[in-house]
Amino acid sequence: MGVNNPFALYKWQALFDARDIFIDGLTTTLEVAIGALILSVLLGIIFGIAGVFPNKFIRVLNRVYVEFFQNTPLVVQVVFIYNALPQIHIVMPVLLIGIIGVGLYTGAYMAEAVRGGILSVSKGQLEAAMSQGFNYWQAMWYIILPQAKRVMLPSMANQAINLVKNTSVLAMIAGGDLMYQADSWSGSNMYYGPAYLTAGVSYWIICFLLSKYINKLEKKAEV
Amino acid sequence: MFFAKKKLMVLALTALTGLSLLAAGCGSENTSSSSSSSSSSASNDIIQTIKDRGYLKVGCKVDVPLFGYKNPDTGELEGFEIDLSHAIAKKIFGDPSKVEFTPVVAKTRGPLLDSGELDTVIATYTINDERKKQYDFSTPYYTDPVGLLVKTADNINSLKDLSGKTIAVPQGATTRKAVEDAAKAAGIEVKFAEFPTYPECKAALMSGRAAAYAMDTSNLSGYVDSETKILPDKFAPQEYGAATKKGNDALAKLIEDTIQEMKDSGELDQLLTKWKLNK
Repeated sequence: MGVNNPFALYKWQALFDARDIFIDGLTTTLEVAIGALILSVLLGIIFGIAGVFPNKFIRVLNRVYVEFFQNTPLVVQVVFIYNALPQIHIVMPVLLIGIIGVGLYTGAYMAEAVRGGILSVSKGQLEAAMSQGFNYWQAMWYIILPQAKRVMLPSMANQAINLVKNTSVLAMIAGGDLMYQADSWSGSNMYYGPAYLTAGVSYWIICFLLSKYINKLEKKAEV
Repeated sequence: MFFAKKKLMVLALTALTGLSLLAAGCGSENTSSSSSSSSSSASNDIIQTIKDRGYLKVGCKVDVPLFGYKNPDTGELEGFEIDLSHAIAKKIFGDPSKVEFTPVVAKTRGPLLDSGELDTVIATYTINDERKKQYDFSTPYYTDPVGLLVKTADNINSLKDLSGKTIAVPQGATTRKAVEDAAKAAGIEVKFAEFPTYPECKAALMSGRAAAYAMDTSNLSGYVDSETKILPDKFAPQEYGAATKKGNDALAKLIEDTIQEMKDSGELDQLLTKWKLNK
């Protein structure tokens, strides 16, 4: 292979020697992904239920949250937290920005998935449960959500996978994640072939394992 | 359960095969092109290719005043490196206007050369050993030390004052290494935050995310305003060269000859004076 080849062997060798940088990046990506996933699922459940809540004011809260975060780009949100909030003396570490930024953003999509799931369960279920003496929350928890789960899970799974890939937005704000490290390392030596291929394969593996895990959950929910 | 596992394996293998095919595909294509262009006859072909095409494809900066800058008033590209590109076009075609400029940023310079999208990159491209392995560089046409931009209000007066602080540097530039070495020599430790573009580095400085923005001085001077200043500390002179893809020897030689001739005739100095880059 010639020196011009983006995948020349010596470039792979250099990547292997610099593996600590990439492992570092992968660790950060995983930390952000896990944190943001937990946050987004929590937000999704809370705001999803809020979206079908009997009280109108609470339903409006759901709309405001969902419409705001769904209709502005994640990059803008993250860069705003990074560069604009310090002007009013809110300085968050980048890891936290990743978790909060990506978590809030994905939470809006999760909320829609949860809301859709709940709406798919016929209204009679809630009425029947309440006529049997369940209060609203009990009916929600024991009757509605278990049925809604089957509808919710596939779209929540999609969002979870998007979330993992969206953590790469941190590369824009020197977040130290996998994409940032690949950019930074390959930018100085121009060995971009191995760098981006490795980053891509790493994201693929995380997403693939995650989707397999969620498939398993879906199977369980069907029984 | 067994079925699920088997399916998983098949999927994983499919994906891996796909990726390796992709890599191998890119690989073999490039191998053949590089092996053919390394023979001298193919090397002359590059000049012929450029002549047949009718213009020279140059990667330039559009956000570095004095070097490569798109003037917002006129919409025209201007700067020392733009003039230099025209001089090379004149050498090839006898007509300085036969250039097609493509804006580049630090990290797109390499890939655009590799793919053949550009004939040469003349874009404040610092010569270093890793880059020399992959690209041919001309004699340096300009030498620029790295400087540090800080906020006046922060009361930072030298590199030493930046101990333990974060310094913003552009991605894909040699600046980080230069500052790292200078910090080591000064016996201090600094942290780095890398950003894709120059304005983002400046934004990080202004928001307090970084205590300083390090970049080649000439580049930095375009970002000084009433709230910021450049420290007197300057280090690691960066040598700018025109880069060409390895194997395009004839083009590399032609550019080298042009720059040498301009140096000997004093034309290069005149150009530097024109852009107030004479030290």
